Amino acid sequence: MVQVNNNTPIVLRVKFYKKGSLQYISHLDLVRTMMKVIVRAKLPLWYTEGFNPKPKLTFAAPLSIGTESMCEYMDIRLTEKIPTAIAKERLNANMTDEMQATEVYYPGEKLTALKWLAYEITLEIKDATPELAEKINSVLESEELQVFKKTKSGEALVNIKPLIKSASARVAGQRIMISCILSADPSAFLNPEYVIKVLKEKCGILSDDNLLEERYSIMRTNAYKENMTLFS
Amino acid sequence: MQKNDNISGILKSVSKPGRYIGGEYNSIIKNKADIKCRFAFAFPDTYEIGMSNLGVRILYDVLNKESDIWCERVYAPWPDMIEKMEQYAIPLSSVESGDPVRDFDLIGFSLQYELCYTTALRMLKLSGIPMWSKDRCESDPIIIAGGPCVYNAEPVAEFFDLINVGEGEEVLVEISRLYIEMKEDGSYSREAFLHKAASTIEGVYVPAFYDVSYNDDGTIKEYRPIFDDIPTKIKKRIISDLDKVSYPEKLVMPYIETVHDRIVLEVYRGCIRGCRFCQAGMVYRPIREKSPETLCKAAKCLYENTGYDEISLISLSISDYSKLRELTDGLLEWTDDAHVSLSLPSLRLDSFSEELMEKVTSVRTGGLTFAPEAGTQRLRDVINKNVTEDDLKRTIGIAFRGGKNNVKLYFMSGLPTERDEDIVGIADTAKTVVDCYFALPKTERPKGGVSVTISVACFIPKPFTPFQWEKQDSLEELERKQKLLKESITDRRIRYTYHDAKVSRLEGVLARGDRKLAKAIALAVDEGSIFDAWDEYFDYERWVSVLERSGIDTDFYTTRGYAEDETLPWDIIDAGVTKAYLLRERKKAYAAETTPSCAEHCNGCGANKLGGKNVWCK
Ligand code: SF4
Repeated sequence: MVQVNNNTPIVLRVKFYKKGSLQYISHLDLVRTMMKVIVRAKLPLWYTEGFNPKPKLTFAAPLSIGTESMCEYMDIRLTEKIPTAIAKERLNANMTDEMQATEVYYPGEKLTALKWLAYEITLEIKDATPELAEKINSVLESEELQVFKKTKSGEALVNIKPLIKSASARVAGQRIMISCILSADPSAFLNPEYVIKVLKEKCGILSDDNLLEERYSIMRTNAYKENMTLFS
Repeated sequence: MQKNDNISGILKSVSKPGRYIGGEYNSIIKNKADIKCRFAFAFPDTYEIGMSNLGVRILYDVLNKESDIWCERVYAPWPDMIEKMEQYAIPLSSVESGDPVRDFDLIGFSLQYELCYTTALRMLKLSGIPMWSKDRCESDPIIIAGGPCVYNAEPVAEFFDLINVGEGEEVLVEISRLYIEMKEDGSYSREAFLHKAASTIEGVYVPAFYDVSYNDDGTIKEYRPIFDDIPTKIKKRIISDLDKVSYPEKLVMPYIETVHDRIVLEVYRGCIRGCRFCQAGMVYRPIREKSPETLCKAAKCLYENTGYDEISLISLSISDYSKLRELTDGLLEWTDDAHVSLSLPSLRLDSFSEELMEKVTSVRTGGLTFAPEAGTQRLRDVINKNVTEDDLKRTIGIAFRGGKNNVKLYFMSGLPTERDEDIVGIADTAKTVVDCYFALPKTERPKGGVSVTISVACFIPKPFTPFQWEKQDSLEELERKQKLLKESITDRRIRYTYHDAKVSRLEGVLARGDRKLAKAIALAVDEGSIFDAWDEYFDYERWVSVLERSGIDTDFYTTRGYAEDETLPWDIIDAGVTKAYLLRERKKAYAAETTPSCAEHCNGCGANKLGGKNVWCK
């Protein structure tokens, strides 16, 4: 049956976290999961027109496997406005602890206004010393950071420095923490894994020989617009 | 610290880490303090395949409905993960709690196909549990097997402590209850528990309690029970009333893509058809139906708890369901509005109608698949696959007019009495489909031309079928026939795929084997065999070598054929259908005489003695 949609859909924005074990599911898996969450949540979903109508979900800056996030954004299209508190409650009842909505609202801006993303990288390594933090900082501050990066036309040596707004390392207990803000522009998106890659190469950290003792985690913490005000 | 934190480095280094994380919506977490029996349901294949298995979904739900039993899932890690687990001494653990499976009370393996045996045994090794039943000690879990392979599990019988023959919904709960009871009253020991289970629970087979002796020619002399109070033959268990048995209301929702990621409704068990090569059609008898009311209720409930947009109606031959119209009408009352599609995976050529095609989306949007199984009418009569070329033409006509131009046909080669003309007949049948397309007026033909794929499997004489005594074709003969068929296909619109004859040879040995094979299987596992059903891991040369070194003559189990008066390895099991019936059917096969379906009249197969409600047997 083909549904006729005379009404333009109403966009509902969900800010949610995706952490713990859920860092290991891909963006595609997330989309598939969310498709079922919104159905279970019984939201008044808007369906695409045509032969095979489907709800439409849009996400900002897809998260890659191995990165957790406190600030994911998803736009759902509805046929009518419902109170955001109810939408939030129903969505959360249909997700597990590791993924929950923190804010649900009718947005004033498009998802594409999101231009920069902040990350906290934690290195759990044997010698988490101030000297190492220093070394990491000097690498991150260099004029150029060349790294082999996937591009549309295969792997190429790319200078990722212009895609890094800021980055600095510090010692925190047995760990080294790196705070950085990276480009989230679809045309110049920088995956934080490349920062790890550069540090592996330049500082000789995180060898693959002992995956139980040398490891890292990445948490996306904040989203910004072009002028560095918070995205919402 | 969260469950997977300590192995995060490993999870980041393996393919598809989402397989190992658990935490799925609807997965069941219980408080260990309330639990008296921890049951690990082990599926010896990948997460993606195991998550799609209906049996696992049903039994996970049934066991977890018991408040003091916690059933968790375990899947086989992919070899890249196994390598890491061995390197870092990480034992196999369950998906839910992440606890090592060796700490569980009971571990139930679902044996769905023979080629999973090595994977199952490798899982035991990864758990640090001895592979052989006789080597396990009091503190080891009880290792259970179930699933379709147990109709002849003799080749792997000595690796399991207990085998559940037949449908598991009741038996597994009874076994767990007995375990709890004996642990609580202090009477538990492995031996006492297994003995009590074997003597008091119907459908329980404890292989160690049966001595097998052999004749000089290697055939089986007899099975002798070592206790007086255990059955001489293990009668398969069935669920009597499928409307009363519990069916999951929720499904564990995988985060990653699985093979069948949808709602599956089991409409009935058994099959009325009696195809003579088909084991499922025989061992799942008697036919027991669910009512449309039960099914519609289950579907709505599952939809609300999962959010899936597809409902698949499964059973061996769905169009034989006596209330199919009530069922599809009942579902269509709400599924269209909810944007949920229906799919029917098993359609028969003779019952395919325009009405059915309109109701099911998979038929509207996907390709069409049919299984004539044999290339000539004579051979189709031999195997009792009662479809004719006219059925095929009529069906294909409906499909083409419905806009389908992609047809897949399933066949078997190596069938009893098969001649070269039957092989050539497969190519002819495919050509008939192409011709049907061009026989249509141009305006009625679906766009994009026509494409026909023929997929040919090698016949394996399966236990509990009328063909159980038959010879399996030799490797050379199967490969010769594959070549003959290839040469007989002249139309480039026909695509031909076939099963590796070497894989079928091993499947034949494992499906028809006896306990003498155990040594070879253990050796194969020790030397690295795993995931035999996966092309990239199947190593035929290794199998030939371990079988040879274990003194096994594979011809004995395959090309030899079994004598009608021989004690068969699977004679220890009573699957319902009698030998007398199977022999009658075998004789009719040789006379190319067909047998009508159970809907027309009862053929006295013997399965009715098992009872059951809403059965076709009178
Ligand atoms: S007892 Fe008769 S009706 Fe029942 S399954 Fe057997 S042959 Fe069919």
